[in-house]
Amino acid sequence: MSLERKDEHDHKGWMQERDLTPVESIYLTVLMWLDKRLRIVDYLEILENLYYKVNMQMPKSHTEQYNLDNKFWYWYPLYALGSFSTIAYVVAAVSGALLGFYYSPAAAGASGSPTVAYEQITFIMTDLNLGFFLRSLHRWSAQVMVAAVFLHMLRVYFTGAYKEPRELNWIIGIVLISLTMVFGYTGYLLPWDQLAFWAGQIGVEMALSVPVAGEWAAQLVFGGFTLTQSTLQRMYILHVFFLPFIATTVIAIHIGIVWMQGIAEPH
Amino acid sequence: MSDTNDDKDVAADGTGIVAPDDETPTWRERKERTEGLSRLTYEYFERARREDQDLRIESDYVERDVLAFPTWPHEMVRNLALTSFFVGMIIFLAAALPPHIGAPANSTQTPAVILPDWYLYWSFGLLKLGPLNPELSLLGGSKLMADRAYGVVANIVVVGFISIVPFLNKGAARRPVEQPFWAALGVGGVVFAFTISALAVKNLISMSSTLLFDLAFLLPIAATCISYAVLKSMREGYMFELNRRYYRLRPPK
Repeated sequence: MSLERKDEHDHKGWMQERDLTPVESIYLTVLMWLDKRLRIVDYLEILENLYYKVNMQMPKSHTEQYNLDNKFWYWYPLYALGSFSTIAYVVAAVSGALLGFYYSPAAAGASGSPTVAYEQITFIMTDLNLGFFLRSLHRWSAQVMVAAVFLHMLRVYFTGAYKEPRELNWIIGIVLISLTMVFGYTGYLLPWDQLAFWAGQIGVEMALSVPVAGEWAAQLVFGGFTLTQSTLQRMYILHVFFLPFIATTVIAIHIGIVWMQGIAEPH
Repeated sequence: MSDTNDDKDVAADGTGIVAPDDETPTWRERKERTEGLSRLTYEYFERARREDQDLRIESDYVERDVLAFPTWPHEMVRNLALTSFFVGMIIFLAAALPPHIGAPANSTQTPAVILPDWYLYWSFGLLKLGPLNPELSLLGGSKLMADRAYGVVANIVVVGFISIVPFLNKGAARRPVEQPFWAALGVGGVVFAFTISALAVKNLISMSSTLLFDLAFLLPIAATCISYAVLKSMREGYMFELNRRYYRLRPPK
């Protein structure tokens, strides 16, 4: 018995007076070491909370409450179009990242002889193992995403789901559909074949025909008034850097708002 | 009183932080003392909170703790099944219908068909609205805008109109039968999206281009009128049913 006050937080002593197995004591030591530095306790609480939330049940939805499933079940695929486009976006992102390992955005010009970008696409499609399928997957997931987004918009329009609390999300949705189409357009230009080149030509002409800001816009987006190496470079950076960040953020906001407001169910 | 003051002065441990006493304003008081925009925000939130509370007290809605489908595992398993089915469909499409790559870019050789991807046909078609660009007599028969600028403006107008729809169509009606006008407008819009896309690919369609141009505008109008008539008569039947049910329950005296 010493006069010294006992340290209530003497974890070492506490560990020694308990009869722990080696596994338990190693676990506790590591936990204490980490907790002392990172205050894991606080986060454990969040994890615990999450655990209970995962096991929570959703409240009954409108259709469940009034037992409308028997009348509305055949509409439900239309209510899944939003998540289908999100899934297609994820598939496109993964396959696009894999394609990015092999593609390089270099176009020496448009003289009719294959350029570096074109050669790389040819390499992916003919020499690379599974490359043909990879490009096909990327292309099809993009097509499916655009189609799902269009149909999603039609569903929202014809069920009046854009009304009162959801106007903001309708506008965000229009931003998203535009971003999706820009995504598609920039990707369409990357192979640098005839179709890509002339689609790019139309794009430059469209930009140039805008009254005041036209030339500036053409410089900014296409890197000049004719299609050159810098056009392809800009399309590439838009496609793999700017648009992924912007679109992902806006999609997250869009879905977050749906989460907060609840989906507009059929009536 | 002076004692505590002394304590405060003495207990200067370098932080200058003093424990809250009775004089310390609460957060509510601090918020009430603010001015300008933050004061407005505070007042509005107080009002909104009170409104919510009143509505909650008034309403007969009972928040039930009897719940529906469990999130885990039922809902999660269902979502995973749907997701993998959908990804499988994309993979099947990709395997069955692979893309192709055309000739390399050649600026000296204009191909017969220049087209963007299918989802941009509508936009591409709107660029070809030159014949609708009015020749103003005020300007001596010349056009206010070049045809190309006119097409770009048409794109902006279409997208702009779609985005302000929620501010034009208000009210609680949700089903197409409940709002025949807006539903018919939507049908017309969808048909116009297809006809304007057909206009975009007019050199692939064996039809005189003037006829195609006229059809591109007449078909949507016709579709709008027809669907309006159909929905309007459907609404009559719908209202008839509702009224009949109503009067069966409460027969007129």
